[in-house]
Amino acid sequence: MSHKVLIIDDDAHLREGLAEVLDAEGFSCSEAANARAGIDLAKKHDPDVVIMDIQLPDFSGFQICQELRKHSRDFVLIMMTGRFLSAEEKTQGFELGADEYITKPFDIQELSIRIRQLLSRKGK
Amino acid sequence: MTQRRKRGRLFYKFLFVFLLVSLVPLGVVGYYLVNLMQVTLNKAITRDQESLAVGFVDTVSTYITSFRNVLYDAAHLSDFVGMDVEKQKNMVNNIMQLHAAFLEISVVAADGQETIRIGRFLKDTKLRDFSNDGIFQKAVTRGEFIGGLERYMGSYPTLTVGIQIVSPSDNRAVGAVLAKLSLNGLSGILKTSFPENTHTQAAVIDSSGFLVAHSNLDEVYKSDARLPEDVLKILLQNDARTGGGEILLDNGERVLGAFAEAEELGWVVYIQRSVSVAYQASADMLKRTYKMGGYVFLFVLILGYAVSLVIAQPIQALREAAIKLGEGDFDYLPDLSMPNDEIGELAHTFMQMSESLKVKTAEIMSAKDELERLNRSLENRVEARTRELRSAQDELIKKERLAAIGQMSSVVGHEIRNPLAVINNSVYFIKTKLGGMQQPTDPKMLKHISIIESEIRQANGIIDEILGFARTREFNLKPAHLNAYLEDLTMSFPFPPHVELVKQFDPSNPGVNIDADQLTQALRNLIKNGIEVMPERGRVYVRSEVVSPDWVRVDIEDEGPGIPKDVLEKIFAPFFTTKARGTGLGLAVVKKAVDGHKGKVEVVSTVGKGTCFKIYLPIVNITQNKQ
Repeated sequence: MSHKVLIIDDDAHLREGLAEVLDAEGFSCSEAANARAGIDLAKKHDPDVVIMDIQLPDFSGFQICQELRKHSRDFVLIMMTGRFLSAEEKTQGFELGADEYITKPFDIQELSIRIRQLLSRKGK
Repeated sequence: MTQRRKRGRLFYKFLFVFLLVSLVPLGVVGYYLVNLMQVTLNKAITRDQESLAVGFVDTVSTYITSFRNVLYDAAHLSDFVGMDVEKQKNMVNNIMQLHAAFLEISVVAADGQETIRIGRFLKDTKLRDFSNDGIFQKAVTRGEFIGGLERYMGSYPTLTVGIQIVSPSDNRAVGAVLAKLSLNGLSGILKTSFPENTHTQAAVIDSSGFLVAHSNLDEVYKSDARLPEDVLKILLQNDARTGGGEILLDNGERVLGAFAEAEELGWVVYIQRSVSVAYQASADMLKRTYKMGGYVFLFVLILGYAVSLVIAQPIQALREAAIKLGEGDFDYLPDLSMPNDEIGELAHTFMQMSESLKVKTAEIMSAKDELERLNRSLENRVEARTRELRSAQDELIKKERLAAIGQMSSVVGHEIRNPLAVINNSVYFIKTKLGGMQQPTDPKMLKHISIIESEIRQANGIIDEILGFARTREFNLKPAHLNAYLEDLTMSFPFPPHVELVKQFDPSNPGVNIDADQLTQALRNLIKNGIEVMPERGRVYVRSEVVSPDWVRVDIEDEGPGIPKDVLEKIFAPFFTTKARGTGLGLAVVKKAVDGHKGKVEVVSTVGKGTCFKIYLPIVNITQNKQ
């Protein structure tokens, strides 16, 4: 069975494009346009991977990390950002439960490989 | 020093004053003394002459009286009347022989007939009749009579003495004896009393001014001999019986004259002395006074010179010292050790003054120096402060600008990278879909897809550079081992196959404080540049070398075409680029990062051989911090 991926991003094109690409790579994607919806979906579907933008209109990325990790520590959490993350931000993100971060635009193949690595590290 | 020899004006003033003070009183006193002496002498001589004159009046009287007495005695002999003529003749002859002054003696009877006539130089011996003769009559009636001046034989001054012959029985006049008395004897006495060498003339004149006697006999023998009229005028018009004084003669000669009147004869005795002779003593005195004055002048001159020297010399020395002091020379003042007097005190005070002046001047100078120093330090501080303010202002402006850029970068990051990611995803999707199709894809389609991918990368790279430069956050320096860090860096860098990486790390593996993000960005930029300039093939050297106990150098060197010198100066400036497509921020980011590490970056480039960027970083001891 394919791994469930939840994509949280307010940019519909990115969200949809990424979902389709990942679907093509063999993942099963669901999408959320904001943090609230994303958290709800995560609770409902119990995804294996969450890819989320840290600049969402309703919550800051780190708060979402916390919220998501309250629900489960089992999934792979990847942060997306359009800007540089400072070392502190990265550290903070990792401490709050993020497993990886990627900078837009990213290489899909690379991302795909990385997701699988992280999944296998989590024993999935 | 010629100045030392120079005498001040004071010296001459002193000398002049000394001379004035000592000579003027001397002159005044001398003048008065000489004058007084002259007056006194004048009076004394005049008085002397006067008394001489008075004395001579007596002599004259005595002279005449003595001869009258001879006649009187003869005439009054008790038997003279009773004598016969012969006897009388004998007696008269006798008298004539005894007394040379008698020139002629006559005996006249009461009726006036001459009875005897005996004369010394007589040729005519005829007896004369005297009955009408004045002298005879006066002699008979009065007892005796002395007549006026006569000129016997035209020249000898004589006078006639008449004495009454008295009959002893009835005491009645029976005749008279008349005698002519020569007065030459008087001249003789005068001559003896006033010899020629005394320059004194003495004369006896009668009431008419004719000469009776004179110290110079030649004067007397002149017929109608008289004294000079100017003298006579004084003598005859004078009512006083005696007198004297200075007379200015008509011939200009000054004489001292004195006179005395013989009353019974009506004669005047006159004594005259030349002033030059009379004042001989006073002239001598004057001469001596002048001589004395000369000596005193010389003495005072020498004394004054010495005293002036004593007074003026120290003052001169003081003056020189004052001049030196005025020139600010405190150390080489002339010797002012002086006697313990007012001038010595002045010198002492002067020395004290110069001492205090020296101290004060030094104080002023040091205060001035201090002031200058303070001024300088103030200027420096103002300058430093201005610099600080300016740099703070610059910093502020930069910060504001960077803040704006940071804000912009956020927008760029979010709003441009998102679309890029979307495009990237879509292109990937299309590519995979095309790859999955049965029939082969049009190669042009694939080419365009790869162009899109490449452009996305390009755009992304530019955004990276801009954001890298625009980052405003503080540097977060953490200690790290340089070699390990460089190892990680080169490991993660995607070197293309045509470029060879050569690592040369210093074995001492020094510790450095680094902000890994920033330094990595910087070094990546350099490596990327190195790769870019070697499109065919080449090597990139990554080197570390400890150059001093405090510094380690990191080299990123390529074998590209090198950078021309004129370009080399500008490469670290933001937005400077030689690339066809480039932001010109890559090396600016390097510079910024190295500055943030308190290091420095240099570039050495040889055209045709390659370029080497040298980054110097301070070494830190991190053994304690090691976990």
